[in-house]
Amino acid sequence: MKIDELRILLSECFFYRAFEDEISRLAQRGETPGLVHLSRGAEVFEAALMTALDLSVDHMTGSHRSHVLALASGADPVAVAGEILGRNCGLSGGVAGTQHLLSYDTGFLCSNGIVGAQVPIAAGAALSAKINKTGGIGVAVMGDGATNQGAVLETMNMAVSLDLPLFFIVENNGFAQSTTTSNAGGAVSVVARARGFGLVADQTDGSEVRAFYPVLMRLIDYVRSQQKPAFLEVSVPRLGGHYEGDGEIYRTQTPLIDPLDLLSDLADQAEIEGISDIQSMAEHKALSAIQTALKSPKAEPNAKS
Amino acid sequence: MKSQINSQISESLSIANALNQAMHQIMQSDPSVIMIGEDLIGENLATGAELGGVFGVSHGLAKAFGRNRVIETPISETAFVGMGIGAAMTGLKPIVEIMFCDFMAVCFDQIINQAAKIRALSGATPDKQIPMPLVIRTTIGAGDGSGAMHSQSLHGLLMQIPGLVIACPSNAGDAAGLLKAAVASEDVVILMEHKGLYETRFPVEASLPIVPLGKGTLVQKGHDITIIALSAMIPLAISAAEALKAEGYTMDVIDPRTVSPLDMDMILNSLHKTGRLIVVDEGAAIAGFADHVIAEVSSRAFDALKCAPRKITPPHCLVPYAPALEAAYLPTQANIIQTVKGMIHES
Ligand SMILES: Cc1ncc(C[n+]2csc(CCOP(=O)(O)OP(=O)(O)O)c2C)c(N)n1
Repeated sequence: MKIDELRILLSECFFYRAFEDEISRLAQRGETPGLVHLSRGAEVFEAALMTALDLSVDHMTGSHRSHVLALASGADPVAVAGEILGRNCGLSGGVAGTQHLLSYDTGFLCSNGIVGAQVPIAAGAALSAKINKTGGIGVAVMGDGATNQGAVLETMNMAVSLDLPLFFIVENNGFAQSTTTSNAGGAVSVVARARGFGLVADQTDGSEVRAFYPVLMRLIDYVRSQQKPAFLEVSVPRLGGHYEGDGEIYRTQTPLIDPLDLLSDLADQAEIEGISDIQSMAEHKALSAIQTALKSPKAEPNAKS
Repeated sequence: MKSQINSQISESLSIANALNQAMHQIMQSDPSVIMIGEDLIGENLATGAELGGVFGVSHGLAKAFGRNRVIETPISETAFVGMGIGAAMTGLKPIVEIMFCDFMAVCFDQIINQAAKIRALSGATPDKQIPMPLVIRTTIGAGDGSGAMHSQSLHGLLMQIPGLVIACPSNAGDAAGLLKAAVASEDVVILMEHKGLYETRFPVEASLPIVPLGKGTLVQKGHDITIIALSAMIPLAISAAEALKAEGYTMDVIDPRTVSPLDMDMILNSLHKTGRLIVVDEGAAIAGFADHVIAEVSSRAFDALKCAPRKITPPHCLVPYAPALEAAYLPTQANIIQTVKGMIHES
């Protein structure tokens, strides 16, 4: 990754973090209609993923935890914030909400209230790409818990049998709600399971851009050029509760490393200048997007947006 | 109910607490009862503290009865509902929890083709059929901004499937009592608990007596109209009835409690007295519980009707997210009052 790319990545990650932090504050004040599942801890991976995709032809789907994916796909931050806050300016005018972000124009087909449901839908995008020869791929982003859903396991098999250009991404944060990944997952790791289906599969540290970026690029290139599915498990910390307000009674106190700190250190080492300026500009951008969204009227029956 | 004579209203409990107490009693008295579901325990291995289910209903059960009987699963509804069916056929009495009824959609085969049918397929007459002591507990209901996939009320969809007993309690005593009846039943029983009612406290009889499946209860007595309501629509119907009392109108408010089988006798009896019917339901606007009751009453007691029956349900659309949209989606006290007055004036 070049210095300029690193600077942009850093700026984006600061932006996403500030966005989620502000949503968190608003949730605590009761300004979000429903429970919000924040992406804090996955920003670095998700931002880098977007730089590696070509969303003019690729299509992605995500889980209930998709605020940052929607933003990173290029959706208007005011519209993303507006949807999370139930405002007229929201992506879907406040009808859909935090768990159901749809940004069709930027290639983000849907996030989902049903664990795993987004995965077969991404297979459909892969099928379109294949039949219409668009050069694009389908990308399904899910949590580790989703790998225990029938729909996901069926899609893993079908993608291999139909040669779909589909990229499965599992963000393993160690938890599915209160259930630990190791408790739920049986004896075999997620990536070993994927290999069992015949998927080209790898595992990497989603906190460390130098570790995951080459793996990410290699697998995306494989899916695109070979028109075959691949699977990537990335470990990312869940820096907070399952949802905002979750008391996390089940979590044992183990210190978590914040990937954003690692990225800042990296930028430091690369002698990128003005990191604190980059940060404050990103924070300003996030806050003003959310402020703008808050000025939009709350969605009302028959309101014209 | 026999215990009603010397019933002791000695406690005030939330539905979540009442279910938790009932569960402790049931698991204590019958070692074949087990629980299966996601996040039932959520234990902190360092401190021993536990989540006890996302609504706290299963709190303490794993400590009391062990992880052999309180089984925390992966997010694999198809597999664990099916496992519940097989276990029920082979000596256990599983209570399977599906966190939100919306998630039943991912395991519908196990519910509507397997659970609902195996018992009836096992013999031509009930005496020849195997028991299927399976209970599925799930949640229904909008009102908390959970959006389109965590807020539905799918009891109407399920009641179309023969072989399933469906109950929708409106208070803590009924929730606990229906759970006890469900565990004792040889049929598959689905208990649908409204999320918006979990924390409300209700007066209960301390022993949490069993409540028979298929029997409704007359919550309020009156003359002018019969209101049939379920679950969270019961408090709404009662408040509307009380507001109307001040204006001189009185009504029967019936809580059928079980939607399948449905206590049609109680409904028809009331209708012969009042001649007017309103069904208030948070379920489907089309071909759901409300339409079913209206169709039954219209075809079985047409002569008793003074005017066309009415239903008050949400519109035929998804449950919206934003608070004002969601509020407009849900039936209101004002809807009921307006409908009552309209019907009385026209007949
Ligand atoms: C089919 C289904 N079952 C259960 C749930 C409830 N639920 C929502 S998120 C979640 C945990 C998901 O864990 P994971 O896939 O690891 O994603 P994470 O939340 O860790 O990002 C559960 C059980 C659901 N939404 N859908």
